[in-house]
Amino acid sequence: MSATAVAALTAILLVAVASTVIGTMGHRARRTSDFLVASRTVGPLANAGAISGEYLSAASFLGVAGLVLREGVDGLWFPVGYTAGYLALLLFVAAPLRRSGAFTVPDFAELRLRSRGLRTLCSVFVLVIGWLYLLPQLQAAGLTVHIVTGLPIWIGALAAGLIVVSTVMFGGMRSVTFVQAFQYWLKLTALAIPAIVAVIFFFGSGHTFDRPAPPQFAELTTVQITAGVELEVPSDTVVTVGPDGATVDGAAADPGSVLRWPAGTTHRVEPDGDLVFEAGTDVPVPVGKPATDDRWLSPLAGSGDHQLVAIYSLILATFLGTMGLPHVLGRFYSNPDGRAARRSAVIVLAMLGAFFLLVTLLGALSRFYTPQLLVSGQTDAAVLLLPTAVLGSGAAGAVLGGVVAAGAWAAFLATASGLLLSLASVLASDVLPGRAVADLRIAALRLATPLAGAVPIVLALFVTQLDFAESVALAFAVAASTFCPLLVLGIWWRGLTARGAIAGILVGGVLAAGAVAVGLAGVVGEGLPGVLLHRPAIVSVPAAYLSMIVVSLATRKSRPANTDALLLRLHAPERLGLFRDRVERNDDPVDAS
Amino acid sequence: MSVGDRYGPTVYERVQATPEFGDLRRRRRRFVFPMSALFLVWYLAYVLLASYAPEFMAIRVAGNVTLGLVIGLLQFVTTFVITTAYVRFADRKLDPAAAAIRQEIES
Repeated sequence: MSATAVAALTAILLVAVASTVIGTMGHRARRTSDFLVASRTVGPLANAGAISGEYLSAASFLGVAGLVLREGVDGLWFPVGYTAGYLALLLFVAAPLRRSGAFTVPDFAELRLRSRGLRTLCSVFVLVIGWLYLLPQLQAAGLTVHIVTGLPIWIGALAAGLIVVSTVMFGGMRSVTFVQAFQYWLKLTALAIPAIVAVIFFFGSGHTFDRPAPPQFAELTTVQITAGVELEVPSDTVVTVGPDGATVDGAAADPGSVLRWPAGTTHRVEPDGDLVFEAGTDVPVPVGKPATDDRWLSPLAGSGDHQLVAIYSLILATFLGTMGLPHVLGRFYSNPDGRAARRSAVIVLAMLGAFFLLVTLLGALSRFYTPQLLVSGQTDAAVLLLPTAVLGSGAAGAVLGGVVAAGAWAAFLATASGLLLSLASVLASDVLPGRAVADLRIAALRLATPLAGAVPIVLALFVTQLDFAESVALAFAVAASTFCPLLVLGIWWRGLTARGAIAGILVGGVLAAGAVAVGLAGVVGEGLPGVLLHRPAIVSVPAAYLSMIVVSLATRKSRPANTDALLLRLHAPERLGLFRDRVERNDDPVDAS
Repeated sequence: MSVGDRYGPTVYERVQATPEFGDLRRRRRRFVFPMSALFLVWYLAYVLLASYAPEFMAIRVAGNVTLGLVIGLLQFVTTFVITTAYVRFADRKLDPAAAAIRQEIES
């Protein structure tokens, strides 16, 4: 095992141990509300750290840098959307939902529309969205282990899944907040140090991106092709087939054979082969992606079809989807009052902005230091490979590589444990029997955790691995097509009915989740349908809103009787005293949902 | 467990009837809706600029930095500024008004 692998595994182990220690130092969970919402006793800064720590997942950490490497400025849309989604949540949903006293979307649905059927449907979609979100997290943890040790991705994904399930089952239900705040700062450090080092080296090299030329291989480079890719060759290129052989343009090429690719041609390379490029060779890029550095710096520079539709659809999904993510909503309750909740939101946005700026910077630098990822298709590994590419594989590179791997692991632990806890609590309270008995509550959560974790683990082993950022955006698209209309209309429109809500969620959810399922099965469409398979929100969100409104109008007689009083309570500021803290009011020690 | 039926309707009706409460709701709406429109227009304009005025977006500001990149990064700043504005607005305009109504109701 190499020095980098030892350093990284040690760092990952330290993160896991530190998280557990911080977790047990906190007070023990005395009531269900203690571990679900930390009893609303956390300060705004710690809470903002926890929100950011949980929200900044491994997949966004690695995926955004990878997208910036390949797409350039257009990759910025993902972090901008992830951040702006918080603003939409804050303006339209956070305060009224907080006053409603509902912890989760199913709680809110039942409270607002008095329908058990709707509640069950919401629970199903909480699970769907959570699983979709967990899937790229597991794959990202697997990729980290793969990059560090060379083990296959599935081993890392499986191990990561088992570790998270067992930590949540046996220890993770204590004060998660401080663990997540710690993990935010750890992630930020893990990005800041390599970014600073790489920036210093980059400026020392006198390199610039302001030139009409593609990136180049700095040294003799062997590229492992892990995913099938169609490459566009910017200039006459000589490629040697590596020791594993390769399948190029449908024909098998023997190890050592030399391929000559004229400028402007495209070549299809199948997975499981390797290609060797001489130092100074121009790097071929995937077809449709910006080839030269100056195009890469300009927005919408790729030649792919329907880029406008793709970007608008992404904006819609990320802006409106954030409010429907199961682990995001509950976090707003850990503040003592609405004022502190607003304060947290501002700090969260600053934290998210700082974090994503660093990720973007690392993605940009990786175009210079690790351009071979453009050929191998594994752009998601950019951040992980940057330290050794900048500093070499000596001690300094190993230590820095270890720091980054630890950061990725912290990102994985923070998101996955919070999300798994949310899913387990939905499973325990809405799906598994025996929900009413207090003593059974903790036992049910323990039982639900492995069930909630098993689905994404199995998925991670079998489905096609998309780019992480794309994969995360799918979860946002489903959330935006189901919970966003329910929350926004439920809070702002008195005309919503239970049947309308069910219709809207079914229409939006089936469209979005259907597209996702087809995409994950590995189907690649052409033209507009192909774009919509990966970015369904632009169709599914309006469809969901429309059907929710139309069916509600058609069934207006079934509007719940107490709607007016309820809406007034949602919108009356807390200082009116109409709202009383649901948790404080709760005398029963373990009933919180 | 259901929430919402513990309070009698009277206090709601009394609050809803006050002109101050109507004023409070209007203030909030007058802030939240134009602000949301503004930020949506700003984000969507960026995409439109990028697709229909690429030369404009490709203007070099300094070295590697294009105008498109600057505007792209400004999107983070805008999000942050709008949130800060909302929080200040809520602290200064909404909370005191709500406190005043409460005092009136209780006295």
